[in-house]
Amino acid sequence: MTGGVVGDSVGTAEALGAAEVVPSRTARARSVPAALLRSWLARRVLLGVAQTAAVVLLVFALTEALPGDAAVALAGDQPDPARIAAIRTELGLDRPAAERFADWVLGLLHGDLGTSLASGRPVATYLADGFGPTLLLAALTVVLLVPAGVGLGVLAARRAGSLADRLVSSATLAVYAVPEFALGVLLVTLFALRLGWLPPTAVGFGGDLLAHPAVLVLPVLVLLSRPVCSISRLVRAGMIDALRSPYVRQATRYGLSTARVRYLHALPNALAPAAQQLARTVDWLLCGVIVVEALFVIPGLGTVLMNAVAERDVPVVQGLAVVFGVIAVVLNLGADLVARRLAPRAGVAA
Amino acid sequence: MQGWLTGERLKCAVGRGLTGERLKRAARWPGRAGLLIAAVPLLLALLGPLIAGDAGPRTASFTLGGGHWLGTDFVGRDVWRQILLGGQSVVLVALAATALAYAIAVPLGLAAALTHRAWLEELLMRPLDVLLAIPSLLLILLVAAVFSPGAAGLALLVALVNIPDAARIVRAAASEAAARPAVEALRMQGETWWRTAVGYVGRSALRTFAADAGVRLTGVLYLVATAAFLGVGVEPDAADWAVMVDRNRTGLFVQPWAVVVPALLIVALSMGGNLFFDALLEREDGENRKPPRPHPKPFRQYFRYFRYFRYLRYFPRHTKEGRR
Repeated sequence: MTGGVVGDSVGTAEALGAAEVVPSRTARARSVPAALLRSWLARRVLLGVAQTAAVVLLVFALTEALPGDAAVALAGDQPDPARIAAIRTELGLDRPAAERFADWVLGLLHGDLGTSLASGRPVATYLADGFGPTLLLAALTVVLLVPAGVGLGVLAARRAGSLADRLVSSATLAVYAVPEFALGVLLVTLFALRLGWLPPTAVGFGGDLLAHPAVLVLPVLVLLSRPVCSISRLVRAGMIDALRSPYVRQATRYGLSTARVRYLHALPNALAPAAQQLARTVDWLLCGVIVVEALFVIPGLGTVLMNAVAERDVPVVQGLAVVFGVIAVVLNLGADLVARRLAPRAGVAA
Repeated sequence: MQGWLTGERLKCAVGRGLTGERLKRAARWPGRAGLLIAAVPLLLALLGPLIAGDAGPRTASFTLGGGHWLGTDFVGRDVWRQILLGGQSVVLVALAATALAYAIAVPLGLAAALTHRAWLEELLMRPLDVLLAIPSLLLILLVAAVFSPGAAGLALLVALVNIPDAARIVRAAASEAAARPAVEALRMQGETWWRTAVGYVGRSALRTFAADAGVRLTGVLYLVATAAFLGVGVEPDAADWAVMVDRNRTGLFVQPWAVVVPALLIVALSMGGNLFFDALLEREDGENRKPPRPHPKPFRQYFRYFRYFRYLRYFPRHTKEGRR
């Protein structure tokens, strides 16, 4: 009897502080002073702008301002000084680097990415050609990534240390670091060659991949492999921490259903680090897209980039690098904002 | 031994109600399995070139049998010999890149953590924040479009790409140590910067650096192998596992071994390495270690009590007086 009374009194004492312990979403957002939020926002956006500028500057510096320029590379097999000089004049490489940089940036601001050295076509048409398949791959991956990553993470966190948890944790840890090309080649050997279930490459299907979903299975699977691992591990860790926290215990004491506690109270807190990681995985996704397109012969932006690298078509490489880099910067910025919204207390970068 | 059972691992084990020897075994297996999985490709990479022997005459490409244990590759070379030779470049370039990244990141991070001038810290760390957002493979391909980097160039590039993140981790670990009272005491005693930075702060954070370097090594291995697969930093017919996967893909239907075996070796190396280093990192995270002493105690002081040894027989250890 006494034990029950003591337990009740403890429960009441904690219930008194419960308003602090289980804050609603709006209360949490309001608890951050508006001025602080604004200054954080301003700083984060400023960092984004600086990052964009750094991308543009770095792309130019690495490809043009360093010795051993495009003319030497283009001359290639015939390193004849006269020919190099001719190419240099033709490309305008004999002008000072600062002037060329100013021209290029002005062009970028007007949406002009330059023209290809190899074919003379504008770089924008290259982008337009390769955009469809790459966007399809990336969109499919992200759409599948979120439920798969969160689902696996929650499955593992439901009972920490259970068989399911140990299996998921070890598998995600193991696959996390495997290069896409090695995994992809093994999957192709197994599913396309041994079992004959899926086509080994996208050769012969043209640009219209959506009409042949079987072609997309292996590439998307390979693209998913690394991001799913990182996101599910983060969700699992965040979920385990959240489920142990006082506010979840308090919510359980209130008699809320397990599902409600788990998905409405614990999960949002576990998602904040995962949202940030989702943007960091864009880095991997861009790397992955290049590798997967090379591996499965898909005519997307990655293939355009690799062809341009092989032909030393510097303007195309520059244009693609700027586009990829700016996408990465913008997505990182967006993810930081989302993470800040989900868990304002957590210190987010910048 | 208890070191394996800390942090996340310990929580899992307690959640399952495991105790004693079973608990220890359950907590330890991923790291050990990782070491075992990575050992095969690692041994092949390091010892392979010693036992590879001379190159035989070239035969037809993509054949099976004919005295070649794993068949021949796209230019008719023996696949087994190429595999013996091909691990070295992957492993050595990855090791060199990790070491190089740390050689730059550690002084940078230590300087940022120990300086009292806020502007200097901003100056050192902010540019790295800016660089962090640029996709790493993109940077490597960008350089490859203009130069043709060799193996050393690839190592340098991969190291450069890893510096921002490594420097942040070094700074975080070092500023935790630099905030301890011991550092303040060292400063007030007028110790040199070198002794404070390297002798105390660096030494305190050393294990964090080591654990992070291990995990970073697997990331670097990923980048090195992927770049080699895309043809950056390697000869087109080099003996390199990643290059073998790329070049022998055309014969995948006829002669799968030339692709599958190097791919399996790369997968085993990265999987095992990650499992092993993550176990080390976890052990590092969970352990609540004592920080090192600011000054190592001189060994001599332990001899001070020798003169009391003769009284020991009056107070045997198990008595109350002896225990004091």
